[in-house]
Amino acid sequence: MTKEYRKLSSMPSLAPRIDRRRFLALLGLFWVAPLVWAQGTGMTPIPSRPPAPVLQLKDSDDQLIDLAQYRGRVVLVNFWATWCPPCRQEFPSLGRVRERFPPGTFEVIAVNVGEEVETAFPFTGSTPFPVVFDNEAKTLAAWSVRGLPTTFLVDRQGHLAFQATGGREFDAADIVVIIEQLLNH
Amino acid sequence: MITRFFVVCRCLVVFLGCATGAFVANAADGILWLHHAQRGPITFSANPQGQDARVAFFTARGFTAEAIHPYAQRCGFSVAMKNDGHAAIHTHLADWRAIDATGRQIAFSLPEDWDQEWAKAEVPQPARIAFRWAQFQSENHFAPGDWIMGMVTLASEPLAPFQLIAPYHDDQGVQEIVLDALTCAPD
Repeated sequence: MTKEYRKLSSMPSLAPRIDRRRFLALLGLFWVAPLVWAQGTGMTPIPSRPPAPVLQLKDSDDQLIDLAQYRGRVVLVNFWATWCPPCRQEFPSLGRVRERFPPGTFEVIAVNVGEEVETAFPFTGSTPFPVVFDNEAKTLAAWSVRGLPTTFLVDRQGHLAFQATGGREFDAADIVVIIEQLLNH
Repeated sequence: MITRFFVVCRCLVVFLGCATGAFVANAADGILWLHHAQRGPITFSANPQGQDARVAFFTARGFTAEAIHPYAQRCGFSVAMKNDGHAAIHTHLADWRAIDATGRQIAFSLPEDWDQEWAKAEVPQPARIAFRWAQFQSENHFAPGDWIMGMVTLASEPLAPFQLIAPYHDDQGVQEIVLDALTCAPD
């Protein structure tokens, strides 16, 4: 067997035929694809852009945050919980995307579902955007949330424009482009 | 020719590894998926969940160990589905089933059914909210790029090894994606 192997590998006519790049590409196609599906991609347009439901919830300082006060800005509304793995994974990207745009043009509101401030705060720490608390999960029905995390983009006129279910990296190019388009309308 | 044969064999091994679920895939938040299947742009993954892990998870969110016991002792999984296609898909958990080694078909318990149990047991509302949203929902809609994960339980214990069969609806009709050679968590 060893002898046969040596014989084969020493055959110069066979060596160039081993297309390693093609093999590695094929290997990568099958092997890497399952490894990189962690987060979803893009956001889905919402037909007819209905008005965003009411969102009035308190933050950890007991300050009332009202979505309506952000009219004129594009707002990303993210429903999440600390026990939700994709929520935790995407959470840092909320801060990163928030800081990509000038103040007063784009805002992020993270809506914690069903947890107390004491539970969520050790995870969030201080954030460059408001984190509000829906302890009784009452907003989920109005917002037609079917699973966590779910994220909406609200346009400058206060309409639901895009939606994503499942984790995302919100500073990914495909989502930043969508936000830029909404800012220009 | 022989070298090409080896190359083809190696690719086939990798491909079958992915397709049959004998593959360990890394997903969100460092989760290692022990079972993984792909059908076109749809991927389906599952991990068995043990009794102790589920008791710990839900007692930390307001259940008593006694209240969560009926759920935690069931054969359960954490599952995830992702749509990398260009068309939306829908799932109805009531259509999903396990088929065990004897050919017996076993349905999945629905989150709504569990919630009725929690109401009877007077489980506190925050615990019920955490439970409700930690489950893979009875009805799911996956737009292109969406993915959803959640917990599921089987209505009764299957004889191992068994298959999990997850039908979904796309623009072509009803499709099925299958995870093979599953077992319940050992505890």
